[in-house]
Order: sequence, then C-alpha cells, then structure tokens
Amino acid sequence: MSPQSFAPLPTADAPAGSPTAALVLEGVSRWYGNVVAVNDITFALGSGVTGLLGPNGAGKTTILHMLAGLLRPSAGRVSVGGQPAWRNPAIYRFVGLVPEREAVQGFLTGRAFVELAARLQSLADPAAAAARAIATVDLEAAADRPVGTYSKGMRQRVKIAAALVHEPSILLLDEPFNGMDPRQRIHMIALLRSMADAGRAILFSSHILEEVERLADGVLVIHAGRLAAAGDFREIRRLMTDRPHTFVVRSSDDRRLAAAFMTEPAVFGTELRDSRLTVRVAEFGGFTRAVARVARDAGVSLFEVAPTDDSLESVFAYLVSRR
Amino acid sequence: MIFATIADVTLRALLGRRRTILMLLLAGVPVLLGLLVRANGDGVRDVAATLDGIVIRVVLPLVALVFGTAALGSELEDGTAVHILTKPVRRSTIVLAKILVAGTLAAAMLVPSTILAGVLLGRPGQLGVTFALAIGVLVGSYLYVAIFVALSVATSRGLIIGLGYALVWEGVLAGLLPGSQVFSVREYVRGIADILNPAAADSIVGAGAVLYAAVALVAATAIASVRLAAYEIRGSD
Repeated sequence: MSPQSFAPLPTADAPAGSPTAALVLEGVSRWYGNVVAVNDITFALGSGVTGLLGPNGAGKTTILHMLAGLLRPSAGRVSVGGQPAWRNPAIYRFVGLVPEREAVQGFLTGRAFVELAARLQSLADPAAAAARAIATVDLEAAADRPVGTYSKGMRQRVKIAAALVHEPSILLLDEPFNGMDPRQRIHMIALLRSMADAGRAILFSSHILEEVERLADGVLVIHAGRLAAAGDFREIRRLMTDRPHTFVVRSSDDRRLAAAFMTEPAVFGTELRDSRLTVRVAEFGGFTRAVARVARDAGVSLFEVAPTDDSLESVFAYLVSRR
Repeated sequence: MIFATIADVTLRALLGRRRTILMLLLAGVPVLLGLLVRANGDGVRDVAATLDGIVIRVVLPLVALVFGTAALGSELEDGTAVHILTKPVRRSTIVLAKILVAGTLAAAMLVPSTILAGVLLGRPGQLGVTFALAIGVLVGSYLYVAIFVALSVATSRGLIIGLGYALVWEGVLAGLLPGSQVFSVREYVRGIADILNPAAADSIVGAGAVLYAAVALVAATAIASVRLAAYEIRGSD
C-alpha cells in the first residue's frame, strides 16, 4: 500500500510571480454581521505541508474557504498562485479543495463522482484520471458502489480523490483526517508528504496537535480568529512547553515539599489549601525535570504530579496573549 | 462537454424518486379532472378558461417551483454544489445547464398533461386552443424555472419566496391591479397562446408577450449567473 509518488511539477505549472508564495493572506479579516471570524491575518506559504492548527470555531474553515474563493474577505487580500482567489474560477485549474462537510451526491458511485470532477476540469481522459486518483487514495475496491453507502472515512477519501484528479499544485484540506482509521491516516499522511515533496503547496486544518506534528513542515496556530503563532513546528512546540504552568502535586508530606520547591528557580510560587498543593512554575520542561530530584532531596514520596491547564485551548490562549 | 456533464448530474439528482412521483401526481391532476368531466358529460364549454385556471394558474408554477429551486438552490444548501463551484467552469454555464434540465423536466410533465387534459375536457374543434396553451406552458416552464433558479441562488429562502410569488402575486395581485400583468409570467403564457390562437386566451399583453418572456428569461439567467459568481458558502466557522 505504498502511495503513488508524484512527479516533480514542471516549471510551467508553477504559479506566476514568486513560486515560493502559493498561498498569501495580507491583512485579511472576515466578519459575519458583527461577529469577527478572522481578524487581520497575514501569511505567505510556499510548497510543502502547512498545518492550520486551532480549536474548533477558531476560524480555520473561514480561512480555507477564502483561499478557495468561496468567501469574500471583508478586508485585506487573498491570493493563490499569484491570482486573487475571490470571483476567479480560473484558480481551480491548479487548486484542489477537500471540504469538511460530507456533501457528496449519494446516488453517484465513487468512480462517477471522481470522473465528474475530471470532466469539469476538462481533462483529456477523465476515466483514466479518475482511476488514477481512486488508486491514489486506495479506494478501488469500493469505487463502483454509491457514495451513499460509504463510511465517513471512505467519503473523506473519495473527496480527496476528486480534489486530486487534476493534479493541482495547491491543495487545501479541511480536517482531512476526520473519520479515518489509523491505517488510512498513515496512508494519507504518506500521500500528502509525497505530494509536498514533489513541490506542491498543501494547507490542511486540524484541531489535533499530533496530526499536525506528524505531517506538517510549518504550522499556523489560529485562535479566536487571530494568528497566534506561525513557523516551524519545533519552535511552536517549544513555545507551548515553555509557557508558565500550574501543577497539582500529591505527596507524603505536602508542606515539606512546598518549602523545598520554593528554593527552585523554575518555581514561581506554591499554595497549600484544603490539603492540595498547587505549584506555579515558569516553564514546563524545567519543572518536570526538577520535580523528582527536589522530592528525593526533601525525603518526600511523590504520589501524583498533574498539570492543571494543559488543554489545547489554554495553549492557544497563551500563544495569543504573548503576541 | 462541461455543459452536458452538469446537465447529466443535475438530471440524475432531480429524478430522486419521491420528488418525481409527487410532481407526476401534481401534473396528473388536470388529466384526472378531464377524466372526471369526460365520464359525466361531453366536455366543458370553455376549455381555455379551465386549463388557465388549473394548469397555468396552479400546476405550472408549482411544478416549476419545485424543480427550479431543487436544481441549484438545494445543492447550494446541502453543500454538494461546492464540487461544481470549485472547478474552472463559467458560472453562466452552470446556470444554463440547471435551467435547461429543470425546465425540460417541468415541460416534459406539464405539456403532455395540458394536451391530455385539453383533449379530455374540450369538445371537438377545440384542439387548436389546447395546443396553443400547451405551447404557452412549454415556454412558461423554462421561464418559471429560470426565475426560481435565480431566486434560489439569490436567497436561501427561494422556495418560500417563490411560493409567495406564484400564489400571491400571480394568483391574486396580478389579476387585480391593472398594468401589473406586464410583470406576470402567467400573462406571458396566456399572451403566447393568444398569438397562436386568439380563442385560447384574451391577454392584454398580446404580442408583447414574446418580448416580455424573452427579456425575463435573459434577465433571470443573467441574475442567477452574476449571483452565483459572487456566491459565498454558508456554514464556515
């Protein structure tokens, strides 16, 4: 089940202007009535895989829809391949979109659905292109069944096949791994990696850190419509782990442990209330490395060390607050 | 090629079993009425007025409304239209294919229904009237569908607004207010029948009906295309 490898893009296919900026947002905002969904976001992405990471409702879909020309930006400029995205159907020759909502005509077979996309792209041999795309997503066995009978993961894959059928140089995917089982997920990650290595620009949204970490070269962190962080994944990971944390600690002697912690440079403060020891620390990594040594030196047995606010939501909120 | 592809998938979507059966039943009402009349007598005196009251006033706008709003509006609503919209296809091509298919489907049900009902209802010698009205219904099918396609692109409440237009405006107001007939599809249908056979209808728009109908058809198609080119997807977060 090795995913098909993609030939490097011929230069003629490269977007006009700078090929390193396939997807560009310049000061883009989008609001619905007086609700701001996307707030003054600027970024430029070239080839490779970029993850659009953020909790549900952060504005990821709005950003993808603006890049796909399906939403007008309320302010700012959105361009793909050097062309404006809004009101410009010509971009779809080199852009493929995989929408999140399961909106596929259920009466079509998977093959007919992908062939429909190939015909609308005016490809020379729609049947052959569809067969290739279906093989790419490993869906041959079910290709002649109506899409209405598909599982969620199969529907996801048939949508990806339809978006790939014209071998776009830019691929936009909204939560592509939803509904996929781990095997399909690994296959899809390998497929997207091979497409990126062939010089394509791929932007996918996700609310799951691990997905982004495994697939993406770069990451854009979106929270409440704002760009909270952008760049290399390791850099973002470091920012996330270096932020102040609060731990709840249970031990054989909380009072003595609290006193011992106060001599540690990584610790801001401790609080002992209702026989619960709370420790505020400057930095996640430093504290987790020090905690066992401090307890041992103080002669205290540790029962539990638990971070209190490690939800992704609080990570995003922190990243926004420090910008 | 692209036109045929869109037309094909539109036709298959519109021929969903329940909707087709319901529309066939609706289009069958005038025929049923004709059978009843025929069983109990030898036809009505004024077949034109009867066909106008049943087919042109009620059945034609309702069937066209259902197919017209389903052709594009319901695909925009459930999101399946995204797969067509994200292709390098002119928006006017999409709109024209949708109108052609939905209009043909409506006409394929309504024209035979009009002719059958006219033959059953009328007396010998009234066939010319029936055919004139059937041609009017043929044109009206495409015109109504075009208007309802445009409406369903422009607003997410196309079905309700279309129903209001068909029943309140066409059914009541356009008959009461003098001069308002110029903006009534029913009058165009009657006007075209009037041109073909003066006994079929007594339309005040007369020969102008063809021009009005052509302008309305072009305008509805153009509005639908322009609105579709600026269509914004619903349901982003």
